[in-house]
Amino acid sequence: MRLFAYKMIFAAAAASTLLCIAGLTALRAQQAPPSASQEKAQAAAPESTARTLTDEAGLRVTIPAQVNRVISLAPNLTETIYALGLEDKLVGDTTYCDTPAAARAKPHVGDTINPSLETIVGLHPDLVFATMINRIDTVEGLSRMGIPVYTTDPRTVRGMFDSTAHVAELMGAPEQGKALVAQMQARLDALHAPLTDRPLVHVLFVVWKEPLITIGQNTFIADALRWAGAESVVVSKQDWPQLTFEEVVRLQPEYIVTASTHTGEEGKRSLEEFRALSQWKDLEAIKAGHLAVISDEVDKPSPGLIGAIEDLAHQLHPEAFAEKSTATGLIAAPREERTAKCAR
Amino acid sequence: MRPLTPRRIILICAGLTGVLLIVVLIALRMGAYSISIQDIAMTLFRGALGRRDEILPDFWNVVFEIRLPRILLGILVGASLAVAGAGFQALLRNPLADPYVLGVSSGAALGAIVSLVIAPRTPGAIQVAAFVGAALTVAAVYFLGRRGGQLDSATLLLAGIVMASFLSAAIMFLITTLSGHDLLRGMAFWLMGDLASPPPTRDVLEWFGFLFFVFVIAAGAIYTTSSDLNLILSGEQEARHLGVNVNRVKLVVYISASILTGLAVSVSGAIGYVGLLVPHVMRMIFGTDYRLLIPTSVIGGAIAIVLADTLARTVMGPTELPVGAMTALAGAPVFIYLMRRRVR
Repeated sequence: MRLFAYKMIFAAAAASTLLCIAGLTALRAQQAPPSASQEKAQAAAPESTARTLTDEAGLRVTIPAQVNRVISLAPNLTETIYALGLEDKLVGDTTYCDTPAAARAKPHVGDTINPSLETIVGLHPDLVFATMINRIDTVEGLSRMGIPVYTTDPRTVRGMFDSTAHVAELMGAPEQGKALVAQMQARLDALHAPLTDRPLVHVLFVVWKEPLITIGQNTFIADALRWAGAESVVVSKQDWPQLTFEEVVRLQPEYIVTASTHTGEEGKRSLEEFRALSQWKDLEAIKAGHLAVISDEVDKPSPGLIGAIEDLAHQLHPEAFAEKSTATGLIAAPREERTAKCAR
Repeated sequence: MRPLTPRRIILICAGLTGVLLIVVLIALRMGAYSISIQDIAMTLFRGALGRRDEILPDFWNVVFEIRLPRILLGILVGASLAVAGAGFQALLRNPLADPYVLGVSSGAALGAIVSLVIAPRTPGAIQVAAFVGAALTVAAVYFLGRRGGQLDSATLLLAGIVMASFLSAAIMFLITTLSGHDLLRGMAFWLMGDLASPPPTRDVLEWFGFLFFVFVIAAGAIYTTSSDLNLILSGEQEARHLGVNVNRVKLVVYISASILTGLAVSVSGAIGYVGLLVPHVMRMIFGTDYRLLIPTSVIGGAIAIVLADTLARTVMGPTELPVGAMTALAGAPVFIYLMRRRVR
């Protein structure tokens, strides 16, 4: 019995060792190549101007001189690239990238959490754009193969401006970036003037109804609310805190703000939805019809966010824009009527 | 039943290894990036000879950077989990035992979550923290699971289950309080089990070498006890009378199986079902003798994970599923089929 056992151990050990050796020899080559590829990169460096910089997540990235093919790993980045008019250089995006509609036709590399690295390799990108919702594993896996990944991390509306400018600059179109940022800034300034002497509206931003999820003060949505003359009633260091309904009743927000889905005419339907829920229907804000439904662009730190801010500001402060709206015709009439009717 | 001879063990293992090789070839061939079997053969051949210059960069990345490391990790994790499962089933004398029954995976998950809070977006932090969490759990369960200074199957099982539910509760608590954390999105993937994480070290060779080394030591240690395990399974008293040092055997199996589980969980998260099902499937096909069950479980576990991961990578392409979802989805029907066939 013993002898048998020892024979078997030997056999098992020998087999495992063989397996190890086989696996390791196949990988042995891997050790040398990185240096080989580095040499190549260095050899190529003098003629072009590849540069190394730190991205918004604090990682070092080497950007090639010519960036003609990029992949976006998040919907807000895809939208930014389209807003910059640089979509011809976008060779791939994720299955979640649906704004603008043309983005759906781009080759998809998978979803944001788990994209297929080999699909990305096959698309030969010069640069991949990521955000903090992408996993570090994805970024690390791509960097290992010499595919540079630039991670953006916009935490405020101004941060979104910076990210937009960075994306434009990295794609070799800094002027487009400056122009777009200036245009967005102008729209915010136009919004700012009428709102300066108006009190902030205390709102509850509903990310998700069941369970009730709202926003923390460090999110770009909280910042967007401030630009629209509003302030979240919930103060939390967590980005997406979960609330009990008791807390909502205690805080008594003046307005409930939520993002629509893509279907049209959701404004009225949504108020009915809230009124159909036993908890919500007795809330003062809902009783008074103080519900502001804005475009789901508010969920993404991309240039579309400005439109959502404008929409929200007009819904929350109809009086401030009353004279102006006749002059510029900025406000959609039905919403104005609806919000104006609500006694404040 | 034919007598178990070394010749028979070697023949069966050789046959299974052949199946594994075929599965590995299929796994190398399948994926979002289409590459012919000839190209794979040439890439492997040139890679093994260290002639990287002759390999297309795409082929190099797809084969050596993406698919092969993932397959090797799958083999290692599958083999570890299956041996650990077989070991725990004998140690606890319970057919329902799997590598996670004593709370090792919960401890590892807790460690991983803590690492996400302390050192977010640090490559390798999850693996190290998960291993520390697993080791602490194993030690705690060991001290709780002794009776009269010796490991007692029933006490150990109870201690493990209590520890597992306590740690799961702690995980739920952390996940709820951290619900805002962007990083927890990746955590859901980790909890299901996922092979996509790149190695934490720059040197892939070193990493796999280390993992295989630990695996060979721990699995070899369990293998040395296989004839003793056969006797213990027919009754602890009888085994004692036949001169088996039951306490020593139990300790060896407990420590080795825990190391294997901790290792697998740290590198790939909690991949379910493989550790439970593979030893049972191997018992159904090849009989209950541990001298044959352990080597067949090693290869069977590797086959199961590599197959499941190939499916996980391809069925939803280009989006990749966590391999844990696939092992449960594909594993349960296979198991039911084998079980019903045997009952009939």
